[in-house]
Parts: sequence; structure tokens; C-alpha cells
Amino acid sequence: MKEPILEIRGLNKRFGPTHANKNIDFTLYQGEIRGLIGENGSGKSTLISQIAGVYSPDSGEMRIRGEKYCPQSPLDAYKQKISMVLQELGVVGNLPVGVNVFLGRTGQFTKNGVVSLKALNRAVAEQFEKWELPMPPLNSLTGNMMIETRKIVELARALSVDPDIILLDEITQSLSLNNRRKLYELLQKLKSMGRSVIIITHDVEELIEITDTITVLRDGEVVGNVVSANTTPDEVKRMMVGRDISGDYYRADKKAQYDDEVVLSVKNLTVAGELEDISFDVHAGEILGFCGLSDSGIHSVAKAVFGLSRASGGSVYLAAKDLYIKNPMQALINNVGYVPKDRDSEALMVNASVRENFALPSLGELTGPLGFVSPKNMKKLASEMVSKLSVKCEDIFQPVSSLSGGNKQKINLGRWLAKDLKLLILDCPTRGVDVGVKAYIYSLMKEAKKNKIAILLISDELTEIIGMADRLIVMKDGRMTKTISRDGDFTEQAVIEVMI
Amino acid sequence: MKKRTLKFHDVVPFITFIVIFLFFTIASYNPRNGTFRMLTPLNLNTILDQTMLTIVVACGSLFVVAQGSIDLSVGVNLALSGVIATWVAHATGIPFLLIPVALLVGLLVGIFNGIIVSRFKVSSFMLTLAMLIGMRGLVNFIQTKTHTQRIPEELVFLNTPVVKALIFFAIVIIMAYVFEFTKTGRYSRAIGENETAAMFVGIPVKRIKLLAFALSGLMAGAGAVFSLITVGSTSQQMGVFLEIRVIMAIFLGGVLVTGGSSAKFYKIFLGSFSIQIIINGLALINRSDSHISQSVQGILLLLMLLVSVIAEKRSRRTRDLSDSDSANKRRAGFRRAGR
Repeated sequence: MKEPILEIRGLNKRFGPTHANKNIDFTLYQGEIRGLIGENGSGKSTLISQIAGVYSPDSGEMRIRGEKYCPQSPLDAYKQKISMVLQELGVVGNLPVGVNVFLGRTGQFTKNGVVSLKALNRAVAEQFEKWELPMPPLNSLTGNMMIETRKIVELARALSVDPDIILLDEITQSLSLNNRRKLYELLQKLKSMGRSVIIITHDVEELIEITDTITVLRDGEVVGNVVSANTTPDEVKRMMVGRDISGDYYRADKKAQYDDEVVLSVKNLTVAGELEDISFDVHAGEILGFCGLSDSGIHSVAKAVFGLSRASGGSVYLAAKDLYIKNPMQALINNVGYVPKDRDSEALMVNASVRENFALPSLGELTGPLGFVSPKNMKKLASEMVSKLSVKCEDIFQPVSSLSGGNKQKINLGRWLAKDLKLLILDCPTRGVDVGVKAYIYSLMKEAKKNKIAILLISDELTEIIGMADRLIVMKDGRMTKTISRDGDFTEQAVIEVMI
Repeated sequence: MKKRTLKFHDVVPFITFIVIFLFFTIASYNPRNGTFRMLTPLNLNTILDQTMLTIVVACGSLFVVAQGSIDLSVGVNLALSGVIATWVAHATGIPFLLIPVALLVGLLVGIFNGIIVSRFKVSSFMLTLAMLIGMRGLVNFIQTKTHTQRIPEELVFLNTPVVKALIFFAIVIIMAYVFEFTKTGRYSRAIGENETAAMFVGIPVKRIKLLAFALSGLMAGAGAVFSLITVGSTSQQMGVFLEIRVIMAIFLGGVLVTGGSSAKFYKIFLGSFSIQIIINGLALINRSDSHISQSVQGILLLLMLLVSVIAEKRSRRTRDLSDSDSANKRRAGFRRAGR
């Protein structure tokens, strides 16, 4: 092996009573791609936040290139050529892409106190080209862009300091397949340049594929280090959880099984600029998967079916209720549920309580005579769901913001299961949750399928769709390119061929 | 024993109220006859009258604030409703027409605000600010044509404590019910918490927004009736600065500017009494010079702003905490409650 670039010895970090990092020893070598994995709350983000200078350790020592390293802020980290893309979005929405990339470092483009946007954008474009990233329009505001694009902007910013160590916290979950591939290539490129990478993701298979070594964390401690080439997903999962996890959390059967009853029938649906001529039927008890690259429009299908986009042509016919869905309100009162991709900004009221969040879609059902929504019934519903889904919370009045990602997702999905649904639209339901919760979400989906709920499963993770769907629809540029049934050639290979 | 964690910004309004009340009560002590001027029956009656008006109007505005919007037009709406209603009552010779007309005018103005805000996505602040200025001109125009009008003799009997209390409690109970226990109220708070999430769940966001402004307008109309009965006539000063009083009452009560689940009905009582005791108390201790009174109001509002900023920071800190370790995050709740 080459020389160590970053050494950490006996690192401790506490947040009040929470011991987030316990005696962490960690060594990163030059040209190494290191994966960091662990359940939600195992201390991964805390660890790299300290390397990035966001938090200071309580005790322990960090050395970089053999010299003592105590960053007080991310700026100190930059000076040591360490850069990062952190979990929470870190772009300034009201500034254009170009300024975001060189945020805080625009001084070099300043002439007489005025920043030359031309020079700045030229430098930014160079960065995008150098690292072969897809370049968004440099003068548009980042606030209006998709999460994926914003993540890429952050990535460009991290790369623009020409880092020796780059820290990537759950970046792949925001990227679609094609951009993930770009990222993998980028990692290889960095490796060949002798740069080091620490990457966090929940996707075990992905991690094994793209990293050299993996460090597993559990309850704030390093459980072990493994060489990616010599390990299996099951071994890593076992280390993460501390016990055996059955490997088959997907469906075991290889046959498409659903009723003949059509629940939803979409005909020639067109949304200007997003979808072209989409037609499909979903049956009771069927899981219909949608997959495609980033601009394929799979997420727009979810919105359009739920009545959130204005269709310029075609129809969404809810056969189970004999009506056409034109707005989300109709969808809600006619037993259609929608789990959006971005749970914090699109689905949950993070500052409101667990109870409010659970009850929100069911308020119609909870309403009695004179429009009376009884707090008692709300409490009952929330308590039942909390115990049914084993949501880890102090009580139902706790604000959702204090829950972990997995528990938030349980609420996001679970609140719809409290209703008597006909159709459930899931947009990336396992995004950013650990294996335990992931397995649980799949079991919920299987249960919903058994209860004859029709499910639209939209996902950036191909394995998930292959694992769960009865049929899948491949989309490209807002059009449907192919429908494959579980009975047929239902493999990743077959899908990827038509997808790209 | 599981306990609801007390939120910082929920406690402060109570303390503010108690401090204000005690301060002005003691400050109003009259050594000559050993009484507290604050607590004389006559003065308490004045406070109650004024507070009732603030509360009635705030009942409606609360829906708007809960959604994270603001209605600055309630004061001028009250004036317009009052002036038109009195004029109609006189012109038609049917005195009781005053009440439905006032409510209707208030409601229409509210609906207009609601349509503009919900359909055209205009900021409620800008729109109602424009309404505040523009409609005041309209009110003054009508006033110059009609001069000061007394309310019809037949309605004077309404100005008794019992009748007013009955109407007041009827309004408050209905509005409290709608706000706390119906879908409309809950949806309003959901919109304040996260408008996108509300929309993505299937809540008719536009309709609920329209409804909130309509209710706000309707309550301004009800406020006009209240004000006319109490004062006995229209005047140039009708509803001037009322919107500020109402909004301060809501914020002083502990509702955050962003609305959401911080909006609770009881808070408008707390806030309305607080603001009224300040205004009244300052007058009693001979500091009624308007600039001092206004300064005190401003300082209090600043204080509330500070509190909401601190509350926001604290909630963010606990969020950081929980992200770092979910297994131990429950203790975070205790820690916050303990402090």
C-alpha cells in the first residue's frame, strides 16, 4: 500500500448524552477509495463532519500527511485540500450555478471590487469539463433545480479546490443511474490521480463494487475494516447490524401475480416538457415498476398520476372509483396515496409532531358530524401506527425533525397505509434508509400487494424494481420504451439495454 | 410518565403576559386612596371592550397567519365595512341591515384578497399592504360624502355588556371550533408547516388559502359591528392601526411568523390581553405620549422576534443531535425539556 494521508487515533465526539463517535481509529491511504457504512445513526456523518471541520472532536487526534490537523471550520479543511459534499443540501438557492461553485472564493475573479461573472463562468465550465460532469446552465439559479443537479453543483464545487481527499456523504442516493455511472468513473479517475475518497452510502452492493476498502460503523464504533474485493454484501450487512440478516428481502417468486381488475388506467398522458404519450394499466395487487435515467420522466409519472401536474393531453382514469383524476384533492379522497421522493421538503411537516404527520392524509376519514376532527381519534391512529410500524420515538407529540431518516420514511409511507387505499404511488421509497428499514418497507409493500392495493413503484435503484415489481416499464426522454413482465426476461441486463 | 415537551416559544407568552400585567398593575398604584387604577371596574371594562374587538378580528387573521401568510387589510376592511353598512342602514331605513351588510362587505374584501393570493401567487404581504393603503382612500372618500354617521337608534340597545358578551362568545366558540377541531383549521396549519407537502398529500391548498382570507375578512366585518356598537358612530379613526394590533396580538401570543403548528387558538387571547394591557397601562401611568407607547410595542415585538429566532436555533440544534445518533436521540427530548 501507499503512504497514509489521513490518520485518526482515538477520536471521540459527544452531543450531550449521545456518544456519536467512540474511540475511532481510521487510516486512509493515498489513492484509496474508502466506503463508510453503518445503520442510520451509527456515526458515519459525524465522523466525516469532523474530518471536514464542521464539528471539532472532543478528544483524539487527526493527522494529515503526518502533520497534526485540527480544523476549526471547513475553510481549514479546504486549505489542507480536503473537500466535501455533505448530506444536507449545501447550495445557495438564490445564486446561480457559477457563483455556487466558487462560493467564498470569488475573490480571484474580482476586479476593482466587482466580480467578473464571465471569468468566473469560464473557470466553472473548465471544472465541469475537467471532471467530465454534466454541466447545468451556469447562469440559472440553483434553487429551481432538481436535487440531482444541485448535488452535481456541490460536487463540482468540491472538485474545484483540486482536493487530495474528497468526502462524499450519501451522494449516490440523489443521483440517477446514468449520473451514478459518471460518478463511478470519476472515482476511478481520482484514484488514478492518487487522490483519496471517503464515500458514504446505504447501498451495500454499490459500495462493494465501487470502493477498495470498507469501514463498518455500529453505534459510533468501528466494527471492522474489510477489503471490498474479498467480501460479500451479507457479510457487510451482518457487521452493520450485528446479527444475521436474511438475504432475500425482495420477493422470492419469479412469477407476475395480480388480479384482472384494473385499478388505474392511464391513456396517452402528456405533460408538456415532461411526459409524452404515456399509457398503462395497473391491476389490483400488482406492483408496477418504473425505471429510467435521470431525465426519463419517471418521477413526473408519479406527479401526473396524482394530479399534481397539468396534463396537456390524455387521461388518468381511476377505474376502481370510476372517475378521472384531475387534481391531488380528488386523488386523496378517492383512496390514492403518494409517497414523494424528497421526504423532508415534499412529504413531511418536519416541525410538526408525529401525530400531525400520521393523521394528515386521514383527516377526511377522521372527520365526524359537524366537521369535528377528534384529537382522540388522531391520537389513536398515530399510536396504532407507531406501534405497528415500530417507529422509534419518545411519544407521538415529538417533532418529526428529531427522528432519524428511516423513521421519517416509516411515517411518510405508513400514514398512507392507515387508509383503505386502492392505489399507492411510491417514488423512491427506500431512499436514504438503512438495510433494516429497507427490508421492512419491502415487507410492507408485500403486505399491501396481498391486500389488493395497486402499487406504482418508481425508483432509481434497478435492483429494487427487479426485486419487487410484477411488471416494469422502462422510460426514456419522457416516453415509454418497453414493458417487461416478471415472467419474461426480467434482468438488470435486459433493462439497461433499453434504458440507455 | 410520558410528558409533552414544553416548547420554549410556547412558555414565553405566558411569562410576558404575567410580567406585563403585574408591572402595570403595580405601576398604576394610586397612593392617595390606596387603589390600583388598573383594576378599577371602569378600567377593566375598557380593557375588555378593546380586547374583545382585537380577539374577534384576530379569530379570522389567525387562519391566515397559521398558513404562513399575513393579512394587513383587516383594519381598513373593518372601516370600509362599517362605513358602508351604516350608510346602507340609513339609506334603506332598515337598521338591522347594518349587521349583514358589514359582514358581507368584510367577506367580499376577504374573498378578493384570497383569490389574488391563491390564484396568482402574489405575496400576501404585498397585496394586503396595497389594500391597506388603497382602501383607506376609499373609506376617506365615502366619509367625506357621508360625514360622520351615528348608528341607527334601534341598535343602541346592543351596547350592553351582556349582549356583547353573548355575541363575542358565540363568535369565539365557533371560530375556535373551526380552527382547532376541523379539517379547515388543521389544513391551514399544515400549509404553514410545509405547503409543498400539503399539496403533495392532496390538500386543496388554493381553496383553503381562499377560505382563510375570506374568514379573515368576515371577522373584520364582525369587528366593524362590534366597533360601531361600542363607539356609536363611524369616524375617521376607525380601524386605524388595528391590523398592527391584531398581528401583534397573534405574535405576542406566541404564534410564529411562519405559522404552522405554533398557531393555537388560546394564544390570541393571551396576546390580545397583553397588547391591550400595554396600551391601557401606558395611558394610566401618564405615559400616553404615543411615541413612548409605540416604542414599548415595538420593543415587545422585537423581543418576540428574538424568541422565535432562538426557538428556531434550538430546534435546529436538536435536529443535528438526532442525526448523529438515532439510538440515543430520545434523550435529546429530555434535555430540551429539562432546560
